[in-house]
Amino acid sequence: MASMRKLERHQARTAYLFIAPTMLLFIVFTVIPVFMALYLSFTNYDVISKKDWVGFDNYRRLIDDTLLWTTFKNVLIYSVIFVPLNILISLSLAMLMNRAWRGVKLFRTLNYLPTLTSAVAAATVWIWLLHPEYGLVNGLLSTIGITGPAWVAQTETAMMSIIMLTLWQSVGSNMIIYLAGLQGVPEYLYESAKLDGASKWDCLRYITWPQLRPTTFLVSTMSIIGALQLFDQAFVLTQGGPANVTKTPVYLIYQQGFNQLQMGYASAQAFVLAMAILIFSLINMKISKAEESVV
Amino acid sequence: MKKWFKIGTIALATTAVLAGCSGNNTGSNNGNGAENPSGDNGSGTGSKGAVELTFWGDWGGEGQIQFETMVDAFNKSQDKIKVKYVLQQDMITKFLTAATSGGSPDILFWDRWRTSLYAPKNVLHPIDEFMEKDGLARGEFYEESLKELSYGDKLYGLPLTVDARALFYNKKLLAEAGVEPPTTWAELEAAAAKLTKWNGNKLEVSGFSLGDNGLFNMYLQQAGGQMLTDDGKTNFNNEQGKQVLELWDRMLNKDKVYKVGFEQGLGEGTDAFVTGKLAMQYTGPWMLSTYKKYGKDLDFGIVPPPAGPNGDKASVMGGFGLVIPEGSKHQAEAWEFVKWWTANKDNALLWAKTSFNIPGYKPALEDPFFQDDPFWKPILDTLEFAKIRPQHPGYSVMEGDALTPNLQLLQQGKQSIEDTLSKAQSQGDKLLGDNEVK
Repeated sequence: MASMRKLERHQARTAYLFIAPTMLLFIVFTVIPVFMALYLSFTNYDVISKKDWVGFDNYRRLIDDTLLWTTFKNVLIYSVIFVPLNILISLSLAMLMNRAWRGVKLFRTLNYLPTLTSAVAAATVWIWLLHPEYGLVNGLLSTIGITGPAWVAQTETAMMSIIMLTLWQSVGSNMIIYLAGLQGVPEYLYESAKLDGASKWDCLRYITWPQLRPTTFLVSTMSIIGALQLFDQAFVLTQGGPANVTKTPVYLIYQQGFNQLQMGYASAQAFVLAMAILIFSLINMKISKAEESVV
Repeated sequence: MKKWFKIGTIALATTAVLAGCSGNNTGSNNGNGAENPSGDNGSGTGSKGAVELTFWGDWGGEGQIQFETMVDAFNKSQDKIKVKYVLQQDMITKFLTAATSGGSPDILFWDRWRTSLYAPKNVLHPIDEFMEKDGLARGEFYEESLKELSYGDKLYGLPLTVDARALFYNKKLLAEAGVEPPTTWAELEAAAAKLTKWNGNKLEVSGFSLGDNGLFNMYLQQAGGQMLTDDGKTNFNNEQGKQVLELWDRMLNKDKVYKVGFEQGLGEGTDAFVTGKLAMQYTGPWMLSTYKKYGKDLDFGIVPPPAGPNGDKASVMGGFGLVIPEGSKHQAEAWEFVKWWTANKDNALLWAKTSFNIPGYKPALEDPFFQDDPFWKPILDTLEFAKIRPQHPGYSVMEGDALTPNLQLLQQGKQSIEDTLSKAQSQGDKLLGDNEVK
């Protein structure tokens, strides 16, 4: 008994030793900055000359910061369209790529490629594709007699353009995650379902989808977080315009902190964003019942 | 257990946002120390006893070569001071930490409009005493550029470049349509309408670019208005503002000389002006080298901006300067370098010929390099009446987040002129107030 405890203690010590470097980095570069940001959100920190305690002034100012709430509304609209589409398309692609047919590996690679391009480079290419007069998209539309819109310049289509671009960039990696999930679904479930006369749709509805619940939870959580933190693509494609419909909270936080030197207020804005992400992730967890066992 | 793991994952991901915000300024500390001479203990002086200075700028590529040409010339001209150019891609962010934690550079390449935000925070060193000691006359520099480098009654730097937008036009297209370069709003409107070519609902040649809403400032002054009042409120919800928007509305919706989004995504080589898809536009001297490089078939001319209804002429002056940070340990030596570059006829001219920029030092502009060149002359004429942007730390935010969005709604026919002006005013005044430096 005593020697058992000694062994456990030894193992625990070794384990702590192994995670120490990671934890140290995590504390120095993540935990401490987070608490510093929380502290700064109660000051008028301007990086250079001031760091006085101002209490809840920054948070009071948030309340009638209409522009900030506009940006929240923008990313919310973006998330509501982007997240379900992201799941739907990457799951469909994964199911398509999960079959054993010739050349499937090539197609998997091709579908993954957009993920590897940098956000800025991809956005630059998409500006071209979406050009109102010379772009490929409107070129194709004009062959069937439709005059396409000025995609990134019109208020109705600007957000749609960003959704198209970010979907194109993100379905590849989510497809890989779903592929891994699909390959973990036990074959015997399908086999017995077939014996009981289940149709293909039944298999998808009652076996594949429930079995993939942890995967879907991962994919949806990551897309929600990514969506609320949208910045690069929106910045390059539309610069937040037209009429502020594609401006995002991260853009405002950066501008307030680094361009206007109101780091204290920017920290308060960042905290609101973090809280929003936390709340939506928790809601997502409830919906996907992530804690329940899958089998 | 599993549940906790998941909550933990979310918490981690959440903290990443926050860490991103504050992580940036801790991270940017790295690498400052090594590049900078550390001051008093004498390690900053080289082997020959020369004082070593660090000059920060954010121009890479060709710009870096141009800077180094000037730095080398300065180092060769004397043996007491040795300057080294250090490229800082994210210069302003780095300067923020350097200004407070030591390791400040001695000379900073400075986008002049930032002065109104940084000078009140005492990170820049006033140069009035140096000016007086060396007997430099303010009148030899563009007064507007000095104004932009001032805060209160102190001057914080000298202008390195000045620029202003003028009207660039395609000579061939104008000749075909039989129009002369416009000199008034009325002529501009008529010329633009004549130059525009539509093919069904496809715009083939746009007569005049209305793509840059940031030019509102310039039009407003041509109409006789001012962007801000003296006490820092917006000043465009009035007759002058209305005249500008009515002009835009007529050109865009009645004469249809432009289409929203027409130029978006057309980069250097496919620039609408280079490819003859755009007949006239407002742009500045920074495009000259591009147009000369790409436009072998592009025969273009430049005239000062057309005057407004009451004959008011206006353009907006911008450009860069050199400033000396308060944190520099060799301010007197840094001043020598700034003076050598910006307040000496030969050196300012060398800089102009090296970089194709207009120096802020007027005596250098008397050289034939500028006076006999058909491209430089109209821009120099424009600079005579060009004014800087209002010196309010919240000005660019007001323009970008309140004015431009409302102008875009107007251009897309989703808002009336009256609503546009009054909304831009109320939103703009709020942003100006929020971003004041107290």
